[in-house]
Amino acid sequence: MRPSKKVVLASQIIDGTSMDPLKDHAVLIEGSNIVKIAKKIEIFQIVENQEYDLLDYTGFVLIPGMVDCHTHHNGFGDGRLGDEIAKIPDEILTLKSASNARVALFSGITTIRENGPKNKTMFRLRDSIQSGKEIGPRMNLCGSPVSIIGGHMGYFGGEVTGVFEVTRYVRSLIKEGADYIKITQTGGTTKTSSPLLPAFNLDELEAITKEAKKFGKLTATHCLSTEGIINSLDTGVDMVIHGVFKEPDGTDKFREDVAERLAESRAFVNPTLHVFRARAWEMEKLGLQRKLTKNEIKLFDQHRRNFDQRLIDCSKMIEMGVKVITGSDSSWGDYKLGNTIHETECINMAGYSNFQSFQSVTLEAAKALDMDNSVGSLEVGKKADMVVIKGDPLEDIGNLRNVFEVIFNGEIINRGSKDSNMSYIQSPP
Amino acid sequence: MIDNNYDFTLIKAGLLVDGNGGNNLHKASVLIQNGVIKFVGNQESVVAPEGASVKVLDYGDKTILPGLIDCHVHLNGIGDGRVGNDLVTLPDEVLTLQSAKNARKHLYSGVTTVRDCGAKNNTTFMLRKAVEMGITISPRLILTGRPISIVGGHLGYFGEEATGEVECVKSVRKLIKQGADFIKITATGGSTITSLPFRPSFTKKEIQAITFEAHKMGKHVAAHCSSSEGIINSLDSGVDTIIHGYHVESDETFNYRPEITEKFIKNGAFLNPTLFQGRKTVEVLELKQNQGYLTRIESEMLETAKYRNEKISEIVSKMVSDGVQLACGSDASWTYYKTGDFQSEIFAHVSVGLSPMQAIVSATKDSARSCWIDDKLGTLSENKIADILVVDGDPTEDINNLRNVVDVISNGEVVDRENFI
Ligand SMILES: [Zn+2]
Ligand SMILES: [Zn+2]
Repeated sequence: MRPSKKVVLASQIIDGTSMDPLKDHAVLIEGSNIVKIAKKIEIFQIVENQEYDLLDYTGFVLIPGMVDCHTHHNGFGDGRLGDEIAKIPDEILTLKSASNARVALFSGITTIRENGPKNKTMFRLRDSIQSGKEIGPRMNLCGSPVSIIGGHMGYFGGEVTGVFEVTRYVRSLIKEGADYIKITQTGGTTKTSSPLLPAFNLDELEAITKEAKKFGKLTATHCLSTEGIINSLDTGVDMVIHGVFKEPDGTDKFREDVAERLAESRAFVNPTLHVFRARAWEMEKLGLQRKLTKNEIKLFDQHRRNFDQRLIDCSKMIEMGVKVITGSDSSWGDYKLGNTIHETECINMAGYSNFQSFQSVTLEAAKALDMDNSVGSLEVGKKADMVVIKGDPLEDIGNLRNVFEVIFNGEIINRGSKDSNMSYIQSPP
Repeated sequence: MIDNNYDFTLIKAGLLVDGNGGNNLHKASVLIQNGVIKFVGNQESVVAPEGASVKVLDYGDKTILPGLIDCHVHLNGIGDGRVGNDLVTLPDEVLTLQSAKNARKHLYSGVTTVRDCGAKNNTTFMLRKAVEMGITISPRLILTGRPISIVGGHLGYFGEEATGEVECVKSVRKLIKQGADFIKITATGGSTITSLPFRPSFTKKEIQAITFEAHKMGKHVAAHCSSSEGIINSLDSGVDTIIHGYHVESDETFNYRPEITEKFIKNGAFLNPTLFQGRKTVEVLELKQNQGYLTRIESEMLETAKYRNEKISEIVSKMVSDGVQLACGSDASWTYYKTGDFQSEIFAHVSVGLSPMQAIVSATKDSARSCWIDDKLGTLSENKIADILVVDGDPTEDINNLRNVVDVISNGEVVDRENFI
């Protein structure tokens, strides 16, 4: 038997709570938990005459395992639409999800919040992980999102109508193992849905949030237009996803009154900036290979402008004090899992300081999921989820990509070959 | 991934075991084009056409042999001792995940082709589709999907119970439509709780209907047989591979029947004796016994398993010495036999009288013949697919060297055995 105690050394420890890195410190792990963080000398005194493993990452930076608040494990990130994904059998989507889960973990994401898989695929994956047959990050799951008939992601299996049906559906999701309730409160890319219009009526949305709250579950709404955000605020939703300010006629209009309400509410905003940029990147890459058609150039322009607009709106929200966190939305659209930091960088571009950006993918993200009692920072009593990186992320947030080692639940993860870990990396054009 | 930058791949090795069972070739080379072997010979004689670009993989003094072909696997299996009746209660998604995991383990351990002898519902077909979609990697898959069983028969819980000739034919057609490469039947009961291992299951007429239909479609048939009547029914009805094939009477006594061996030889049928399966059970239970926590049921199991292993070894040895040809198949991950250790079954073949060379042939060329894929696989020879295993040491001298895997080459490409994505 290997000793259950581990001493982790690093040149710098950024624990997620403070801007000042700890130097000459060590983390003591026992089993899967952090039991002490203190000066090296002190830690070595504690373990003197005891058996322990020494994990020496001198020259590297130790940070908390990262948290991605918005994933689609069913997805491929190759540009295919959700409508297409939904046609793939559940067994195959479960396999894809397992692969994506490993990618996430290998890239340093130790906790994910899944935002919409087909049927029970993610519950089945989590079963396999919990029984030790598979590996993957901690999972905050929702099951198939709650959608109106023909609404966004309705094809994943969660179409319901009226107070009675939505209530029953929320209960069945919780019975299946949902940790929170995801609602598509406006349309989206789903062909039969209308992104500019609200989805559920207020009585339905209220019934969903009420039922979820009763069981202590958080709610999150997909909102591609302002009306959806307002509905969410009116019904006490805990997270607004995308948070796009668009009028019913499609014009961009930042609503300061709505942003103010967001800032005052407990709601977090998950702006999903990079997923808009990812499309533009792919088109730009295509443009380097061949001449784009007129229509493609038009689309490319649209995507670029859309991203710029989202970035401006996000900056305004940040200025007004809205709590923004990292949720990548990968592998949706063209955005592949394993590249969460692209989103954190966008938030950084929108105005968060390096430390705020760092927290948006660690402690603040954990808070948004109500999981900060166990993950999100390196603190005594929390799970020993940590990432060893090269380079100081508080100097350049992009250093979060330079993952050297992942420790999950107190164990080093065997991430396999370098080549295989390059296979999911998406670079700018 | 196919490396498009080169016209040819040239593999060099100190020793080549081609899978045919003849003399080994020293200082050998294999020339590969588009995943197919173009030329095999000594290093002086094998050269790429002038002007062609060649990727050279020089394995020095290492040995190359055909990629191993495990003709009996259960990709659904977990190998932690749980019986099929429990396994089948897991949802299809979970079993598909397990199948993908096992498939990868097979490949990384040197097995480049597997024949799956029975899985729940569509799980293995789904795995194949996922491989085709590039979601996961696997060895070549020879699939049956669900085994055909009588009502309540062995493996019937996987979803293909049939009664009467018409239903049997229908099952064959349905499976082939879904993508079955061969047909597996259970001709006696087995570990399945509602089945009777020492009694035959299908009638000869039913089996004949199955073999006729399968053969018509160019597919072979393999039959699980835990006792003698089932073997006779199967061989009399044209079954191509007999799995387990133990000479056991309906009163559970072991009794070697020469007529069974004669039928094997007359038909040219293969025997897949699954020897290590029972030995693994003993290994695991003895370990538990030494640690002092064997339940009473387990200690009875242990005694039975020990007795059976001894008898089975005797009978298979006799069959081998009387001329029955073996095809090597592990039966992993059934019961306690975990995937990734096909080598143990190959070693078990040595224990019943095969030479190391013959055991290798049983796990390459003959396994390919029993799977009806020997036109493309099983030996290192011209126009065969370049599935190659590189090991350290000469396995024909010491069979244990099969465990010293250096590289696995599938379709002419080195497999990244550290790819866990
Ligand atoms: Zn999403
Ligand atoms: Zn079997």
